[in-house]
Amino acid sequence: MSQEKIGADGARMSSELAEILSDLCICIQGKQSPEVHELALARAAQCLAANPGNFCNSIALTERECVQKIMKLLNAREDVDGTNAASMFYAIYRKFLLIRVDPYLRHSLMSYLLSMADKSVDFSSENGDGSSLTSASDNLRQVLSSRLNSGTFRSSTNGSSLAYTANQNGNGVAKGGVYSYDATQSSIGLGQQPLPNYLSTIEAQKNPEVRQDIVTNAIYSFTGVQGKYLKKDVVSGRFKLDPMNIKALTTGQAGMLLRLSELGYYHDRVAKFADVSTGFNAMGCMGQALISKLKEELTDYHGQVSILHDEMNRYRRAQLSRNAGKTGELGGGTELTLFKLLAWYIKPLHRLQWLTKIADACQMKKGGDLASTVYDFLDNGNSMVNELVVQLLTSICGPLVRMISKWMLEGDIADLYGEFFVESLSEVGADRLWHDKFRLRMSMLPKFMPLDLADKILKTGKCINFLREICEMQELVKSRDQLKKTMDNNVSHIFSYVPDTSWHAAVETSYQQTSKHVLDIMIGPHKLLNHLQGMRRYLLLGQGDFVSILIENMKEELERKGVDIYAHDLSGMLDAALRCTNAQYDDPDILNHLDVVVQRPFPGDNGWDIISLRYIVHGPLATMLEPTMPVYKALFKPLWRMKHMEFVLSMKIWKEQMGNAKTLRMMKSEIGKASHRLQLFTSEIMHFIHQMQYYVLFEVIECNWVELQKKMQQATTLDDILDAHEKFLRTITLGCFINTMSDTEQHLETVYMNIIELEKWQSLFYKDCFKELEARQDLVKMVEKSELEGSYGLTTEHILQRDHESKIFAEKVETASRGLEVIASAYEKAVSGFLLNLNSSQDPNLQLFGTRLDFNEYYKKRDTNLSKPLTFEHMRMSNVFSLNNRNCPNSRFVIHSPATKE
Amino acid sequence: MPSEIITLQLGQCGNQIGFEFWKRLCLEHGISPDGVLEDFATDGQDRKDVFFYQADDNHYIPRAVLLDLEPRVINNIMTSPYAKLYNQENVYLSKHGGGAGNNWASGFSQGEKVQEEVFDILDREADGSDSLEGFVLCHSIAGGTGSGMGSYVLERLSDRFPKKLIQTYSVFPNQDEISDVVVQPYNSILTLKRLTKCADSVVVLDNTALNRIATERLHIQTPTFTQINNLVSTIMSLSTTTLRYPSYMNNNLIGLTASLIPTPQLHFLMTGYTPLITDYETKTNVRKTTVLDVMRRLLQPKNMMVSATADKQNRHCFISILNIIQGEVDPSQVHKSLQRIRERKLANFIPWGPASIQVALPRSSPYVQSAHKVSGLMLANHTGISALFKRALAQYDKLKKRNAFLDNFRRESMFKDDLTELDLARETVDCLVQEYEAATQIDYPQWSPGIEASKAG
Repeated sequence: MSQEKIGADGARMSSELAEILSDLCICIQGKQSPEVHELALARAAQCLAANPGNFCNSIALTERECVQKIMKLLNAREDVDGTNAASMFYAIYRKFLLIRVDPYLRHSLMSYLLSMADKSVDFSSENGDGSSLTSASDNLRQVLSSRLNSGTFRSSTNGSSLAYTANQNGNGVAKGGVYSYDATQSSIGLGQQPLPNYLSTIEAQKNPEVRQDIVTNAIYSFTGVQGKYLKKDVVSGRFKLDPMNIKALTTGQAGMLLRLSELGYYHDRVAKFADVSTGFNAMGCMGQALISKLKEELTDYHGQVSILHDEMNRYRRAQLSRNAGKTGELGGGTELTLFKLLAWYIKPLHRLQWLTKIADACQMKKGGDLASTVYDFLDNGNSMVNELVVQLLTSICGPLVRMISKWMLEGDIADLYGEFFVESLSEVGADRLWHDKFRLRMSMLPKFMPLDLADKILKTGKCINFLREICEMQELVKSRDQLKKTMDNNVSHIFSYVPDTSWHAAVETSYQQTSKHVLDIMIGPHKLLNHLQGMRRYLLLGQGDFVSILIENMKEELERKGVDIYAHDLSGMLDAALRCTNAQYDDPDILNHLDVVVQRPFPGDNGWDIISLRYIVHGPLATMLEPTMPVYKALFKPLWRMKHMEFVLSMKIWKEQMGNAKTLRMMKSEIGKASHRLQLFTSEIMHFIHQMQYYVLFEVIECNWVELQKKMQQATTLDDILDAHEKFLRTITLGCFINTMSDTEQHLETVYMNIIELEKWQSLFYKDCFKELEARQDLVKMVEKSELEGSYGLTTEHILQRDHESKIFAEKVETASRGLEVIASAYEKAVSGFLLNLNSSQDPNLQLFGTRLDFNEYYKKRDTNLSKPLTFEHMRMSNVFSLNNRNCPNSRFVIHSPATKE
Repeated sequence: MPSEIITLQLGQCGNQIGFEFWKRLCLEHGISPDGVLEDFATDGQDRKDVFFYQADDNHYIPRAVLLDLEPRVINNIMTSPYAKLYNQENVYLSKHGGGAGNNWASGFSQGEKVQEEVFDILDREADGSDSLEGFVLCHSIAGGTGSGMGSYVLERLSDRFPKKLIQTYSVFPNQDEISDVVVQPYNSILTLKRLTKCADSVVVLDNTALNRIATERLHIQTPTFTQINNLVSTIMSLSTTTLRYPSYMNNNLIGLTASLIPTPQLHFLMTGYTPLITDYETKTNVRKTTVLDVMRRLLQPKNMMVSATADKQNRHCFISILNIIQGEVDPSQVHKSLQRIRERKLANFIPWGPASIQVALPRSSPYVQSAHKVSGLMLANHTGISALFKRALAQYDKLKKRNAFLDNFRRESMFKDDLTELDLARETVDCLVQEYEAATQIDYPQWSPGIEASKAG
């Protein structure tokens, strides 16, 4: 751009330009020594020579503002020679404007001049700076253009030093990098113009002593030691050139020094992370492992630096001896130069940078979190980094692996800092050891540890604890030492990508062994499976004969008022029921766990409501099964209620009907209609209850039990069994219509209520019938008696009374029939509601149950609503409905629909 | 011991099927013919105490009472290997041993004469049980002893044990062949009256159907009594499996029958069994046996043990069904099969109330090897059974019109003066037929059992 025009104008223009520049400088600085002047000129020239693209955007003030500010500053000055510096400056500026210089360059020059003007009072004290710069630019241009490809090495030297001055100025015009300067560009820029070469006029220092000093300084800086030329910035911690000694350096040296000093900066950072007292380190045992690893790294690094030191000292000695006269000998190695150091420093720098990066990320972290953080760095294509991270991770995981092996083999948690991903809750007692005592601390779970592996580790230790504390068994895992060795010595395997290492194998082995051991103990001496079977048989009423005998035995107690029932009466009956049914063949161990409990009665409760069976578990079994006990309790209730209904229906209502039908046959004409209705109604309810029982006891409980048994046989660990068992309980809880939150339960309850009502109704009805029957029989007897006595016939009074009584009875039957209809209609409404719920359910099992309850479509024909759920329209609508309610916690169908497959 | 059941065997037929029944039970429970538990059966989970009790020497003894008026069958039993099984005190043989001469009236009146001795035995048995559930009576309705004495015992039983369930396994005569018992129609009607009025549930074993099954299904040209009885014993044992191998449901006789019988009169149950095999032909007739197959076959008339089963066109229908299915059953298959049956409308149900097929899946005896994967018994309350009674009525009417063969009846006290008892019995059976007919109609709930009741009252 500018150079084309300048080139065309030729020497005339360049000399004119030089003149103007010179004048501008004088104008601002006043008369100075030629050295200073030259320097200022060189700088100003540099501004024009630089590539405008580099900084055009980074100058805060516009050119105009710069000029105005300069004017202002100059105006403020005392007139030195009587002339006004400002007006003079302006005149020269006008002249400058005439020369066609690139406006960007002009702008940058102006901003430089502004800084100069601002600073010129004490500028003389900073001579060194300027001279070093000129020489540096000169030096750099030579060196770099010859050694490096364009653009690869952008020196920050000028930038940082200038930034320093700018900071000192405090006006913030220039930032680091504003003046950053590319040697190669300068070589095709103004530098090639026949400008007066101020740069070359300043000779670089050639003194070997100084050079040695600089190198020494650089080496010092590697270990964070300040020297003559490099000082640390208090704020950033980075090295900067010491302004006092800066002039001893060429620009190139300064740049290289600064670059080399970067290493020192990172060394300091790493050292800081390795220093426990700073409080910014990683924490815990694993943190300590990291710190010691960092320290190790530093020691390595120090060793390398000290070799450099050595080399230099050797050279120095050789130099000294050479200077002493023995010029012929050249022992003691070659001279260390900044270039050599530059070549050397790349590797350690890289390493230290990564260490810094990692250590930085690890600040204030501990345990698994720490390991995860470091693990994130593992994915690096750079093999050096990869290796470094592996080393770090290996040392970090050392304590973790030891914790794991201790936990898995001895069941102890040695975790002072809460780093381990297994956590023991101290406030949880031994009775809840299996389910609640230990848990995973997810925040401390390293990323490379899959959840199932962590779970296995958790379970292994839990098993050991369980064996030791609950089963009081002290024996340890077989080949424990060997496993321990394998685990402890293969730390790096823990974060291997594929979990097939010997460490994983050892974990697996110990998991398998321990859980097998626990499983064997539970199934063997503690008879877990038998107990589960026992609970299924007695609490879930699988042993039908036992239940019916128990009910038969307790039937008086069951109908008694709640407050009159005492548990000790019942346990005898329980024992009797156990003795005389097939339960007697069961293991007495199991039977001893069975107990009958009487809850505290609420007013109005009778025996049925408060008597229930309970399974008492002790010791290890309690640890396993205690959490499921409330579920069993909840399950027992509806099952018991169902048996209650069956009992009432068949043993009382039906049996009474059958018996009374024979006895009351002669009254058939009066009560025939009512009892016919009663019988049919009973059979209707009977059908319902039988289907209900069949569904719950067979399809829900038995089918799932078969499933559970299969799983129990396949189980390799105790948790398999317990999980399967829990699932079993969950499924049947749903299947038994417990806590479904729907009105299904309510309908069912209404059905049950009506059965009880019916029983009451029936006993009243038969009472009346028998009273009437008795009265008639009395009458017949009286007639017979009177026949014997010879006074035949009945008095009118008797006949009238009898007629009256039978009329009353007929009315009673009438009323009773109406009462029966009330019960029947309430019942039917409830059943319809129940069926509707089943039919509109999303669960195919419930739908099937619904169709079976109404196998011959009796209800469907009676209640048109019931056929609706099966129509397409309804399905569609209900699907929409359920979609809308998907988030509603009550819609169990949505939640469970995938689980219920047929 | 709980829920005991006392079995009464009456007459030639009753004792024969009873004998087969006990043989079968012994086999299933691993009890040797002399009542000793076999070594292989000591850890059984079965319930023997419903039908057996243990003597002091741990021998298992059937709760069976054997009654007959002629010694032939009982003597056969007492010379068989199973002689020692029975409690000798429970065997009652009429002293003169002349039998009832196939005469109901004679059997009835002889029953009256020996009732004290008989009920001594029954009382003793009843006292010997903890909570007696009921009685099972095995007899035929055609002969003299089983029908006549059986009727008497039935009447007395329901008076004496009104709270106990009385179930009978009643063999109905073969209608296809001409019986040598000419008064068979009278006997049948008179017995049917008692079965209607005094029993709580009657399992009808129709000789017609049994013979037909034996010839048609099992390809036995002339089936012997033993073969037929074998069939019967299979049905009897299978219908009691839920009592003997208790599981979650249907573990007592009342629970089992209550759901089958809606009203006191409609208590005649028919049975069906598949696959059919006898000792003589263990080769399977039926190739594939799945639950659905079994259930479907159970609904086929040809597998019914009652010859009256209706064809599809007629309006007769099932009041209730209980399928007892044994063998390797996948639980999920059961309700699939039910669904299929419903879709295809393989079974006709009553229109006046809910009805469906109940299914019980009892364990089966580990000691008896079945050639089939799955086998099933159906206990059904079907209105079509009235055809059987109708036929009996028709035969009765034919005979009664001519007042034929009534001399022997008139000799007994009951018929000395008049034959009203015969008419009453006919009335009762007719009423029963009417009720079954009514039960096919949707307005059955409004049906009232009018005429007969007033007369009886």
